[in-house]
Amino acid sequence: MAEHLKIALIGNPNTGKTSVFNQLTGLNQQVGNYPGITVERKTGSCKLPGNIKGDIIDLPGTYSLNASSIDENVVIELLLNKTDKDYPDVVVVVTDVENLKRNLLLFTQIKDLEIPTILAINMSDRMEKKGITLDIPYLESQLNTKIGLISSRKGSGIDRLKGLIVNYKELSTEPCLHASSIEPEYFDRLRKAFPNELLYKLWLLITQDANFGLSHTNELMGTASFTKTRSDLKRLQQKETIKRYQFINDVLKTGQAIDTSKAKGLRAKLDRVLTHKVFGYLIFVGILMLIFQSIFSWSSIPMDLIDEGFAWLSVYTQENMAPGKLTDLIAQGIVPGIGGVVIFIPQIAFLFLFISLLEESGYMSRVVFLMDRIMKRFGLSGKSVVPLISGTACAIPAIMAARNIENWRERLITILVTPFTTCSARLPVYTILISLIIPEKTVGGIFNLQGITLMALYLLGFLGAIVSAWILNKILDNKHKSFFVAEMPNYKLPLIKNVGLNVLEKTKAFIYGAGKIILALSIIIWFLGSHGPGENFENAESIVRGQQEKIIPEEHMEDAIASYQLENSYIGIMGKAIEPVIRPLGYDWKIGIAIVSSFAAREVFVGTLATIYNIGSSGENEATIKQRMEAEVDPASGEKVFNFATGISLLLFYAFAMQCISTLAITKKETNSWKWPLIQLFGMSTFAYLVSLIAYQLLK
Amino acid sequence: MDIQSIIAYILVAAAAAFLVKKFFFKKKKKKGCGEGDCGCH
Repeated sequence: MAEHLKIALIGNPNTGKTSVFNQLTGLNQQVGNYPGITVERKTGSCKLPGNIKGDIIDLPGTYSLNASSIDENVVIELLLNKTDKDYPDVVVVVTDVENLKRNLLLFTQIKDLEIPTILAINMSDRMEKKGITLDIPYLESQLNTKIGLISSRKGSGIDRLKGLIVNYKELSTEPCLHASSIEPEYFDRLRKAFPNELLYKLWLLITQDANFGLSHTNELMGTASFTKTRSDLKRLQQKETIKRYQFINDVLKTGQAIDTSKAKGLRAKLDRVLTHKVFGYLIFVGILMLIFQSIFSWSSIPMDLIDEGFAWLSVYTQENMAPGKLTDLIAQGIVPGIGGVVIFIPQIAFLFLFISLLEESGYMSRVVFLMDRIMKRFGLSGKSVVPLISGTACAIPAIMAARNIENWRERLITILVTPFTTCSARLPVYTILISLIIPEKTVGGIFNLQGITLMALYLLGFLGAIVSAWILNKILDNKHKSFFVAEMPNYKLPLIKNVGLNVLEKTKAFIYGAGKIILALSIIIWFLGSHGPGENFENAESIVRGQQEKIIPEEHMEDAIASYQLENSYIGIMGKAIEPVIRPLGYDWKIGIAIVSSFAAREVFVGTLATIYNIGSSGENEATIKQRMEAEVDPASGEKVFNFATGISLLLFYAFAMQCISTLAITKKETNSWKWPLIQLFGMSTFAYLVSLIAYQLLK
Repeated sequence: MDIQSIIAYILVAAAAAFLVKKFFFKKKKKKGCGEGDCGCH
């Protein structure tokens, strides 16, 4: 049987651990050139030389083993627990060649736990450019380890790293710093009391219990008292850190040489401009403008083609398959429903292309720095920036990213307000509504009015998040603020492969994630829309012909019958039941059904409407989703359903409403209570209802 | 009931079962999945 190794990847934030993970496993975990991407363990497997299999565990970035937040604690919990199923045979500490001194602190701590530890020095492709030279044999001898010089971006050095992993038994477990040197008298007492335990492990257990109010030491030590006051423990931790840095400085003095004239330059100049308190924000707004303009203008051609393609497919199916329920289901339910999600692929791909470019280049970290200045004014710490910014993709990982916030109240506020950030699921709803109510005009000679509206909605979401954070901050009386140490990674030319993979993965997740739900909902909605109780549904044709034969011309009679049948179907009855609640917002029962079904996932809204409008028509014309929405008329008033007032009301509803079951589930998981997701649900939905109501009543 | 109706109603039942499973039953976490996306959208 093949040997199986457990390998833990550990390192400071933003050292490229996840890229190394991807290189080793061949998987495509999300990577980004800003800290805090990984917040929990992730595992993957890799083939190692000699027919050995490796389980690679990617752990959250941590600066040291003196954890203060949940994600950092994940690392310590694993390393201190030999019975953990993921307890590693060997640890690979991933470091950044440009921040070796700071990164080695963590390495020395892990090494002192006497676990076989390999030092992987990443980003070696930048050494020449930055004037860095390393004496690898010297470093290996001083640090008592083997070193793998790698570049996870270029894939170099990975094979040697695999070789080192396989030969992990040859690694020395000699510690870098003898724990007893921190405070000889105290550690001497510890050693005498627990002769069989590793001294440094005991020390970490004691400090971890003090930080997290845990009880490992009670279990281990019983009544024996080795506790110290919190301030004494902090003093000893500081002493330990100083001793470690003294050791690291001594090692690097000989083992590393940096030509400082090469190390500075463009980065400093770029940073001065991109994080400037005026130009920084102007550039950021400019970049946002460019992104939203591009989303609208570049994606319009492929979107129109997809829309027309599905409209044609629907009619083709109806005309070429034998008449029957299955044909109706495919032509009126499945094809329009799937079309409602596939149409947005170009926009989603462009959005993630830009986000990936910003992340990969290192610019996103500068955005985090810029936003920190704004956040502080609203009572949020900079650590909330990462969840709020990553919420533009999806609120789920964004809420999980709040784990790196030590202060519970601050973390809770961040969790509660993150769903206001405009996620990718809102994009389809926004773009279709904007294209219906905002004219395709150019403003200022270059800016597309539709693009500006889309950007305004993104900013509105961000504003909603920080204003509600400010209110929650007052209510929850959050006095203790955690501090944010923003890491400024180097600027990098984005790698086409990384960007391409990221765009592909995200777009695939959008199609498959939402696609399955949309497909299932389209089928259910078709069933509910094409079946109904009572005579009104069964005898729709004779009723409509009897009542309106003289009023409606024959060419529109088929549509009138289909529409009457839909109104008397199960879904029509359900929609009519909720109509009184949503009428004041300007929505008819069909929009009401789309809103209710989009609670499963926001982008379901468009697919649901596409299915409903398809069932409600004779199905003989090749109208696209947009054309059907545009043509929808309120039978009572004779006005267009998607007019300016209704459109704005809907946009505001989707900007603020908590329309996502998955987000509620993750809030429940992260807060370990139903109280907070329910507050989130009712708070956000009530606010959305009121704002939409006011907007519609003012604009109608 | 013709064959088209039977297939259509089977698909309706399967869709309903999928949605109930998706939203009302907790999915068991796969060991060593290595997948990054939340699949929420």
